[in-house]
Amino acid sequence: MAVAGILFGCRKLPFVGETSSADPTIRQFQDEVRLAITKAKEGLDLVRVQAPGALSLPDASRDNRFGMAIDLDACDGCGKCILACSLENNVPLVTAEEAAKGRFMHWIDMHEAAPFMCAHCENAPCEKVCPTGAANHTPDGLSAMTYKRCAGSRFCGTNCPLQARKFNYNDSRKLGLSHQFNAEVPPREKGVMEKCSMCIHRLQEDRARYKTSSAAAAVVSGVPVEPWRGRGVKTACAESCPKNAIVFGNWLDEKSPLVEATRNRQLYAPRQLAKFGPSIVYMMGRR
Amino acid sequence: MKGTSLQKILFYLGLVLFIPGILAFGSALYNGPSAWSTDARSYWGVPIALFVFWIGLAHAGTLLSAIFLALGIRLDHRTAMLAELSTLCCLAIAGIFPLMHLGVIENFYMVIPFADARGNFANVMSPLVWDFCCIAVYGILSLLFFWTQLKAKVNSSFEKLRKPVAWILFPLVLWVHTVVSLDFASTLVPEWRGAFFPVYFIAGAVYSGLALVNGLLCLEGYRVRLLERLMLAVSWLLLVVWLWNFLLKGDFCTSAFILAGVIPQLLLVESVRDSRAGRGLISLSVLFGLWAERFYMVMPSFGVSQNCSLNYTDLGLIAFSAGTFFLLFLGLRRVLASYVSDAGTFFGEVDGSDIAKNEIALGENVGHDSRDDQNKDSYVAPWSTEEFRLLRMPLLCGILGVVLFSTWSLNQNAFEHVYLTLVNILPVMYPIVALVAIVVLYLRYFWRNNLWKSTSKIERYLVALLLVMGGLFAGAFYAGGPSEPSPYEPTFLKETVSEPSLLWNARCSSCHGTDGNFNQKFVREFYPVPQKLTLDRLDSLGVDSLAHVILNGRGNMNAYLGRLTKTEAKALVEYMRMLARNNEQKNERDAVGEVD
Repeated sequence: MAVAGILFGCRKLPFVGETSSADPTIRQFQDEVRLAITKAKEGLDLVRVQAPGALSLPDASRDNRFGMAIDLDACDGCGKCILACSLENNVPLVTAEEAAKGRFMHWIDMHEAAPFMCAHCENAPCEKVCPTGAANHTPDGLSAMTYKRCAGSRFCGTNCPLQARKFNYNDSRKLGLSHQFNAEVPPREKGVMEKCSMCIHRLQEDRARYKTSSAAAAVVSGVPVEPWRGRGVKTACAESCPKNAIVFGNWLDEKSPLVEATRNRQLYAPRQLAKFGPSIVYMMGRR
Repeated sequence: MKGTSLQKILFYLGLVLFIPGILAFGSALYNGPSAWSTDARSYWGVPIALFVFWIGLAHAGTLLSAIFLALGIRLDHRTAMLAELSTLCCLAIAGIFPLMHLGVIENFYMVIPFADARGNFANVMSPLVWDFCCIAVYGILSLLFFWTQLKAKVNSSFEKLRKPVAWILFPLVLWVHTVVSLDFASTLVPEWRGAFFPVYFIAGAVYSGLALVNGLLCLEGYRVRLLERLMLAVSWLLLVVWLWNFLLKGDFCTSAFILAGVIPQLLLVESVRDSRAGRGLISLSVLFGLWAERFYMVMPSFGVSQNCSLNYTDLGLIAFSAGTFFLLFLGLRRVLASYVSDAGTFFGEVDGSDIAKNEIALGENVGHDSRDDQNKDSYVAPWSTEEFRLLRMPLLCGILGVVLFSTWSLNQNAFEHVYLTLVNILPVMYPIVALVAIVVLYLRYFWRNNLWKSTSKIERYLVALLLVMGGLFAGAFYAGGPSEPSPYEPTFLKETVSEPSLLWNARCSSCHGTDGNFNQKFVREFYPVPQKLTLDRLDSLGVDSLAHVILNGRGNMNAYLGRLTKTEAKALVEYMRMLARNNEQKNERDAVGEVD
């Protein structure tokens, strides 16, 4: 029992050691992004893929499958997307030792000069091995995380061929490594896995707003409500890209900017992920 | 005499390893996975390597006592007891590491495929879930088996239980290690892939377990030739597997090959195997070699990437596991000394020459009219052995238990939302059969033979305490942790206090209907009928209490705290009242219309 008490209670003990009161500045985040670009991982091995279609999962939506396309002809690897993502999602900094090892918390990694984030695979290998069901799939095609249910076994990280998942080794708030720039996104606790969420908070916000206003409109006009398609939403990285190389949208919506941008383009995905049906793909060259 | 002084030295060595080890362990517990080094690719490190290593060692005892017993291979009690004791110690150590390596330890119970009060169900697609169930059952049954053996010394009616339990444990050992190998083989890490992994893991486990037992026998001052020969044979099997792995993937662990592949072949030299030091050193070399192999397997980028190196916590954890084993094993060995080296229990031989002689005699028998002899002595008609008759009913109960578990879990919510099939719960089926069967077997046997009397008072209290503890744990896991409302409100709610009609349509109308009457279709199909919102009822309840119900829920009504503010809830109450008034007027008008 004593062993059990020590095992389950000890990480809840009050923090011993230096607690930093100073929040990191944006400059520190910029410097870390610059450092991460110099320590870029090896290049992606891209293979041609078809445009993603409707999900074949049980419960999947027939209206929505969100995704992105990254135009490698336009992208110059400036890293602004990494910074924007960190500020939007309150991604913490890492300690100096971890930075030296190249172990950053950034949700977007540079593979040579190509940005790579979680591809939100249709048959995601990480979700299959998660013992608690914390890694799961939404009907809209996002590979989502339930942070409160994560036990931190890191099995999902092991099973992602491209290490898109990042583990919270440190309590970054207590070490003064994180700052909550965005009140919408909760900071993650120590010991849980996190990764690109495709800005799920923006999508959920838009959905709630749409349902509220359209339900009211339906009562007034009596016209049946059109399903929500997530029109007008953009992820932080797509918003921040100076060359508009990242396009966010809905693969199943003909009017989506994503479908329009990829219509005459050749699509690619990393070789290791191609067979799992990634929702985030790369485009190069005209068809 | 030499044996006991060596044991003393090892006990102090254990203490020397344990004291810094427990410090490292404490720091690792407190700091979490950042304390030890983790592989850049697999996020796993020394704890998992230690887990695989110690769970492998744990298989020796069950192999030697249960499988040998089931197959009728003669082994003296003393050796079997030592092996089983080492199994229990190894299992206890192996069980600690997968728990302590978690990022959020207190969430470990979410791995158990057992729905909690919120209807959450573990992802039975994950090998970790299978792993947890198998090892938990294996631990419980090993403990029971060991206890039965201890009791059998005092009360001979317990002896009858040993063989049926051994038959249940036999497949369970193989099952458990197959599942442990699936933790690795079912991932996408290239070094870990291969359909041969279960065989490879079982061979490695048996090999390391035999090396441990042989080492412990050296410590005791005697030897069992059978186990030495078995160890040599398994080393050849493992060499073949390593060769296969090398040809397939080009992976080769030189230290494991030399320490656990080449050096044990010295057992073929008579002068080496006859010296106690020689046997002890060979066992030690095999253990080191297999540890190195497990370690390089769990951390494939160790030594390849510069970012991966061992720190003091890693070394401390290794010392902790070894030190704990020495202390636990030698301590228990001393406590149970009367059981282990009692003259009455010792019917084996010191150097194995007896068994060898028997075997030679048997071999000579085979030469001539052996068939008749064997038929007379050892032929038993199918389905008629005593252990089968004892096991028949419990096994049927176990199978019934599995059928019940399968139907129950197939009805879980998770199976509707994810592609889960019966195949995903297949790996936990045998452990369930084993657990249920053995519980039924013991209860029935105790009941029939009135064995409760032979248990001591302490044992009865212990069982009662364990049952209460188990119940408390299960209850706590069922209830889950406290849930606090999320402090993160969507901004569109914060920006404006919304129009109550909009809120009503968005939040309430799905059940209560846009006009305040029920949404008939939805309510009838999915939910129990909510309370009628008549004007009388609303007036009788008051604004505050209704707002309280909206915010905190009641019965089937959901709580909206965090999604609605207090003022909005009050505004909704007013809106509700307006709708009720409208409905009442409408009803009156309708009634008047009918009269007209």
